[in-house]
Amino acid sequence: MWHKLSWRLLKHELRRGELTIMAAAIVLSVTAVLSLALFTDRLQAGLSERSAEFLAADRVLSSRREVSEDWIARAQAEGLQTAQRVVFNSMAFAGEQLALVDVKAVSDGYPLRGELRVAEQPYAQDQVAQGLPAPGEAWVAAALFQELQLEIGDTIEIGDSAFSVEKVLTYEPDVGFSVFTDSPNVLINYSELAATGLIQPGSRVRFNILYAGEPAALATYEEWLTPQLNDDTHNWRSIEDGDSPLARSLQRAERFMLLASLLGVVLAATAVAVAAQRYCQRNYDVVAIFKTLGAQRAQIQKIFILHLLLLTSFSIAVGVALGWLIQSQVVDLVARYFDVNLPAASGRGYLLAIGTGLVSAVMFTLYPLLRLVGIPPLRVLNRQLTGTDRLRWLHWVASGGTIYLLLWLYSQQWLLSTALFAGGALAAVILLLVGRLFIRASRQAGMQAGSAWRLAMAGLQRRAQANSVQMLSFSTAIMLLLLVLALRHELLADWQRQLPDDAPNYFLINVAEDDVDALKQRFAERNVAANDMYPIVPGRMTAVNGVPVVDEVSKEERESDAEVQSEQREGFGRELSLTWRDTLPPNNEIIAGEWWGVNAAPQVSIESEVAERMRVGLGDELEFNIGGEVFSVPITSIREVNWGSLQPNFFMIFNTSTLEDFPASYISSFNLPEERKSELYELFKPFPQVSLIDLDAIMDQLREVIEQVSIAILFVLILVIVAGILVLLAQVQASLEEREKELVILRTLGAPAKLLSRAVTYEFVILGAISGLIATLAMEVSLYILQTQVFELGATFHWRFWLVGPIAGAVIVGIMGRLACGRLIRRNTAQLIRRLA
Amino acid sequence: MLIQTTQLTKDVETSEGILHILQATDLQIAAGETVAIVGASGSGKSTLLSLLAGLDLASNGDVSIDNVKLSDLDEEQRAKVRADKIGFIFQSFLLIPSLTALENVMLPAELAGNKEAEKHARELLSKVGLQDRLTHYPNQLSGGEQQRVAIARAFVGTPKILFADEPTGNLDATTGQKIEDLLFDMNEASGTTLVMVTHDSELAQRCQRVLRMDAGKLTEVVRDVA
Repeated sequence: MWHKLSWRLLKHELRRGELTIMAAAIVLSVTAVLSLALFTDRLQAGLSERSAEFLAADRVLSSRREVSEDWIARAQAEGLQTAQRVVFNSMAFAGEQLALVDVKAVSDGYPLRGELRVAEQPYAQDQVAQGLPAPGEAWVAAALFQELQLEIGDTIEIGDSAFSVEKVLTYEPDVGFSVFTDSPNVLINYSELAATGLIQPGSRVRFNILYAGEPAALATYEEWLTPQLNDDTHNWRSIEDGDSPLARSLQRAERFMLLASLLGVVLAATAVAVAAQRYCQRNYDVVAIFKTLGAQRAQIQKIFILHLLLLTSFSIAVGVALGWLIQSQVVDLVARYFDVNLPAASGRGYLLAIGTGLVSAVMFTLYPLLRLVGIPPLRVLNRQLTGTDRLRWLHWVASGGTIYLLLWLYSQQWLLSTALFAGGALAAVILLLVGRLFIRASRQAGMQAGSAWRLAMAGLQRRAQANSVQMLSFSTAIMLLLLVLALRHELLADWQRQLPDDAPNYFLINVAEDDVDALKQRFAERNVAANDMYPIVPGRMTAVNGVPVVDEVSKEERESDAEVQSEQREGFGRELSLTWRDTLPPNNEIIAGEWWGVNAAPQVSIESEVAERMRVGLGDELEFNIGGEVFSVPITSIREVNWGSLQPNFFMIFNTSTLEDFPASYISSFNLPEERKSELYELFKPFPQVSLIDLDAIMDQLREVIEQVSIAILFVLILVIVAGILVLLAQVQASLEEREKELVILRTLGAPAKLLSRAVTYEFVILGAISGLIATLAMEVSLYILQTQVFELGATFHWRFWLVGPIAGAVIVGIMGRLACGRLIRRNTAQLIRRLA
Repeated sequence: MLIQTTQLTKDVETSEGILHILQATDLQIAAGETVAIVGASGSGKSTLLSLLAGLDLASNGDVSIDNVKLSDLDEEQRAKVRADKIGFIFQSFLLIPSLTALENVMLPAELAGNKEAEKHARELLSKVGLQDRLTHYPNQLSGGEQQRVAIARAFVGTPKILFADEPTGNLDATTGQKIEDLLFDMNEASGTTLVMVTHDSELAQRCQRVLRMDAGKLTEVVRDVA
């Protein structure tokens, strides 16, 4: 019998719109989680597919020694594609000329991701390469054509082999951004490697195995392989590792998406919580009547649990359908816009969404439902009775636990969930206290105001307790909205800074000291935007505080690897590009010590991550060897470098007097728009030894990826806004019901509708404005923490939001209050009284 | 005796000390009697009603319904007593807003597990003249119609006792009169014991016995037999 009743109640209440907010809240939480999870899943998969091009593979195993054939065979058995890439430095000879080059020997299949581009002549239009250099052939970077004065068809000698130069290498996906430390590339076929005779024990070679394939197969292989790797010999990489601007942008975007989604989930859950409370309160009378008519507690429990389950299932079903529809539309849009194929979504999103709906509906209604079932039948005679409040702590525990659980379910990260939760809980307590203070203060301020204002103030004051709780949800909603808005703005601005329209698209290396002034002048004449010229002195770091660093891999080391290395610091294993300057370069920030200015004493400034890896700090003495001359200098500052900036960046910067007497070549970067590309030849004609590196292709790809991410972020933002508005709506509805009785009395006493609606509107306006102000404060604090701790961005102050927050709060909450109360006031008094009787 | 109280009292604690809402009351109501409880607002009429109906617990003393002591029962058992033996009519009708007239009337019978709930409810609704309003929701009905639904609901479980709390208090005089007639007619036809709280003395006069409540003290009003 009870299930019939339950179903009947649900049917009628749904039809009459009494469950709209509760249903909407659950639908929203499911929709938001599902579309976010599906969309971010697919976008991330799509993005990593694109970004994999920067590695030329999905994963790369980099090793100092040849990699066991078994490891490759295993990967192939897992269904992965593999290719080999061996990279080493060597001298290349062409007639009388010689140059240091990076030789890259690659096997069939390379690159597994992305494409090689080649041209028939230096700086000519390039195209996608078909296949790889045939045995006996070499494809050579444009810079080397200048350096070795090569023509297509010439022969270069590398080790014991000779290669015919057949093509100009214009783009390699895995060229990376460390152009300043690399010599021009020569690409040869892997089958030619042994014949060069350059791969000897002890020679400095990087053996790379490239892998590509399905994520699941990659994960399985990764699980099998990584325990066998030796940190000193092997390096396992995916695109998220490393310092490329893309990796950082992606990491930030991922963190943002995760964080914003989490906030969206919390907002949606809050909406469910507010709605659940209201759902139960509405049914107080119903339960009292049921009990009076002889219903047993168990019957009532069954009726309402089933009612809630039916409502929840219905809402979840709608939410899943809606979420699927939304994300498929957005994916469609993105795919069409960017001409990419986003892979199919995983099942995890569906589980997560259904779980979220179920968990929040059940957990947030747990206490209100307990209270509902405990409503005494006597309420039919005494409307004030609302049952016992003893178990209120249970409500806080259940709600808090639910939010924490949802955070964890969604992020799968204990630390992040705990941090967000603890921060949120603290913020909630502070918001409650501050809210109450504000209400008290505004009461005094409002005493002189007109009658509608006075009524509003009196109302605020009287309901201070309830209001401060309402304000908590208003503030939370507004704060999360502002937070996501501001973060999005910061991220986009950061990317914009990183890739401005006039970002350098060419790097310039090998500028002779004598040519520096002439080149600068030429740039100025031709109106080319160029960065500073940086002097480069190649040198090795040989010791720290008098203790030599391990630099070369000796034969003995190969035999007993670990012990020797753990004792000593590992060096760079190559020559570093050292530079000197009087001023701190842009995009560098001193995090310890001080910049020297014009101090003449020898000293060096070191990049922070290198300092950490080498375990050195301020005051440590570093020994360098430059062309046989050995000297040592103290570290006087540590710099954080934005590697994403497309400008020359350095691990080691010296003060001028230390390095200026060493012979140096200069490097720089400049921007030349696409349409002026034809001027390049003319521009550098007087400087034949200068080498150029074209970055356009890489930058285009970077821009495209960032654009995709921006769209994704916009999508998240919209969802968060909808969630926020729903919370506000649910809260306004709930709080209006509390005001109903008072409104009816005032109306009965003859208060004009206009006065009442104004008083209610003002009350909500004030509530909204205060909430907005508190929200801005909380947003600013959270943003500071997020910017500095999570996103590695500089902290900024957002004065605009201090205006936007309170005004938006006042307007939105005010309008919602006005609309909701309008409906109440339009009823005639008799109807109202009957409702309350 | 169908209803019997012995030394029934109700006290509540307030900030100014203990308030004696109901002083020791001994009352017997026989089956089939119609009894009105009159008195000023706040005199304790509704409290007595809530105690008699087992909606609230007494501070001292006992209520017995059909020889079952309510104070020996827990809330669930008292609910069972209400389901089996008691019907209610309230001043504010207390219909469930999201159920139709028919469903509201069916409700007590359904809660008691009566399989013929709908049939009974239909019959009762046509008895109170609402056969055309079965699928209307309470807010689509006038006050008088709502109270008629409530009356139908009160009789659907064929209760032994009917408690009415100011049944015409929310209605205009004409409608109130019609509701009164309906209530007494149906009561007479079913032979139900009626206990009614009211401060309408005319209405009270239609009952066989009138009890007056004055500051928690109950006295029987002796009427001219003539």
